[in-house]
Amino acid sequence: MMIHIGAEEIPLEEMLSQARRPEVGAVVTFLGIVRDDGIQGMEVEAYREMALAELDKIREEALDRFDIRSVDIVHRVGRLSIGDDLVAIVCAAPHRQAAFDGCSFVIEELKRRSAIWKKELSAKGDRWV
Amino acid sequence: MKVNVVAFANFREILGKEIEVALPAGARLRDLLDLLAKSHLGLHEEVYEPTGALKDTAMIMLNRVNIDSQGGLDAPLTEGDELAIFPPFAGG
Repeated sequence: MMIHIGAEEIPLEEMLSQARRPEVGAVVTFLGIVRDDGIQGMEVEAYREMALAELDKIREEALDRFDIRSVDIVHRVGRLSIGDDLVAIVCAAPHRQAAFDGCSFVIEELKRRSAIWKKELSAKGDRWV
Repeated sequence: MKVNVVAFANFREILGKEIEVALPAGARLRDLLDLLAKSHLGLHEEVYEPTGALKDTAMIMLNRVNIDSQGGLDAPLTEGDELAIFPPFAGG
């Protein structure tokens, strides 16, 4: 399973291919992308060690709470443009409801608990959000 | 004693990503913040409310544990401690 924070593009195909196993019948993917809110782009920063440890905990919690088989999480850092991938979560389960529930749990907990910050870059000035 | 300070987001822009700070033995978190504020313009306003309380938007971890459980501003510091300061999380 993959948990990664880095500047490189998100290897979504590889994540999906890793999620495919004989006992898996449903794979739910959440892909967060940089939205045009009147901004030029975004700068993303992480306290890597702390964020990775917390993402690992979130994955373990998801595996405990839901009938799922795998969770992969990749979050990008650095300078991103409108439309760029920002975060991907791939959750695989025997059945769809658990895959949806697990994926939703992971993105909500990631937003609340992971040491990652975003700065919106715009002509009017940059702003940490 | 020396402690290591790591800062992120708006706090990194004020303090730099990582700095080592020398403090007298027995120093507490409040002493460290006051020392840093003397040499880093804007830090005091980002950390403290006008009342002197810590702002909700200043998250401080001592050795990766929130300072609320370690005495808050009165948390004692020891050689080699890592203090991290950052705003509320905003990933995803």
